[in-house]
Amino acid sequence: MPDNIRSVGADWQPPSQQAAFRQIMNCFAYPGRLGQLATEAKHGLPLLLATLVDRSNRLADPHRLLDEDEHRRLGASPGSPEMSQFVVQPGAYPPDFQPMLGSLENPEQGATLIVVAERLGTGGSLHLCGPGIDGTATIAVQGVDPSWWQKREQWNASFPLGVDMIVVAGCQVLALPRTTRIDLKGVN
Amino acid sequence: MNPNYELPLDEADYSFGFLDEFAKREVRRTILKAISIPGYQTPYASREMPMGRGFGTGGLQLTLSLIGQDDTLKVIDQGSDDSVNAVNLRHFVELTCPGVNTTERTTEATLIQSRHRIPEVDLTESQVLILQVPYPDPLVVVEPSEAKRKVMHGEGDYSRLLTKLYEDIVQFDEITISHRYPTRINGHYVIDPSPIPRYDVPRLYRSKALILLGAGREKKIYAVPPYTVTEPLAFDDVPFRTEDFRDANGHRRACGRCGATDSFLDELIAEDGSKAWQCSDSDYCNQRLAELAQEVSA
Repeated sequence: MPDNIRSVGADWQPPSQQAAFRQIMNCFAYPGRLGQLATEAKHGLPLLLATLVDRSNRLADPHRLLDEDEHRRLGASPGSPEMSQFVVQPGAYPPDFQPMLGSLENPEQGATLIVVAERLGTGGSLHLCGPGIDGTATIAVQGVDPSWWQKREQWNASFPLGVDMIVVAGCQVLALPRTTRIDLKGVN
Repeated sequence: MNPNYELPLDEADYSFGFLDEFAKREVRRTILKAISIPGYQTPYASREMPMGRGFGTGGLQLTLSLIGQDDTLKVIDQGSDDSVNAVNLRHFVELTCPGVNTTERTTEATLIQSRHRIPEVDLTESQVLILQVPYPDPLVVVEPSEAKRKVMHGEGDYSRLLTKLYEDIVQFDEITISHRYPTRINGHYVIDPSPIPRYDVPRLYRSKALILLGAGREKKIYAVPPYTVTEPLAFDDVPFRTEDFRDANGHRRACGRCGATDSFLDELIAEDGSKAWQCSDSDYCNQRLAELAQEVSA
């Protein structure tokens, strides 16, 4: 787990965030494909958060992956993982919380979980299918506890309720919207 | 819009893309939720734009939140690059997004903002189609309360909408919806796919490009992700059908300009009352003409 995730100045600039958003949106549109966040920082997490989160959101970071300065720059209200729209968690630890799943009338209020992995492209393979995927897709993820995938399946059992996940490792991102089904047979 | 009008950049210090970064971020968060819940009308705080609501402000806010300096934008209105709405929106983006390229060629564009048509040429994975939507909710014809409609959408309860279609068949022998045809996305939500003709509805099915729909006045954004199953509502014994371009002898009408028999045609009525047909997609028609001219000169 990177213990020093810090932003660089350009992460807070509109052109970087526009480019980052297009990568993230592409990842949501085509789950299983990796996006590359263009930043000179060692880790893409601050740019990812700067692109999506601001003072109108509640952000939970119970493992303090970002330091106080970064949180101050983001300006999001701190919250518990159970009550926040955005939750940042290290993938190495199994999830020990119940995120917001939204309601039947407002499913968009389901949380966005940002899981920090060690590496994408190597490690245990996930087999994916669903909207945005032409047939099936396979993606390798290293450094995410397998219980995340089981929990995710439970959280997303009653569509349209559910959570959307972004896995970030270094400057690479992978999105798993709630409609993406993961074949858990191969996961260990 | 006055062609000599210039935004007072020095005084107001507009940011790239006109919208402030908080507005863009909100639209971006909404887009991600809209993709994650295909067909769900995700609410957002639609900003005031320097044009009237109903003139494509929803699509424009999507475009401005997505666009970057390496993008090439195409704006079309009913298939045409040259109609008033398209020209004004394109001009506005050129004013507020310095450095962005605009084009009339479908194949060159990375972002395509469209009013009421999907381009004839198949879109690719590197393109995003943004449709302007006047009325996003297909249930509004059967249920006036938005709170109740939201429950009906959540439960996937479209029985009253199907009843409406059935009543059409009883009364007129066919479903009388010519555009805005209700379409089910990924087996759950039914959307109003914006006033595209029926001809365009099957082209939502497993589209390679992401399709975003923005309704500025109604403050809703929804999406049809790529490779997603879309089904126009129909009945087993009354299947969905598209516009019929055959003449009285059963021949498919051709475009009077380029001769295409595989495109959506606009019916033009001349002053003497005679009718002519022409491709609705002006870029498609122009490209065909250019190809034909090349063949003749070769």
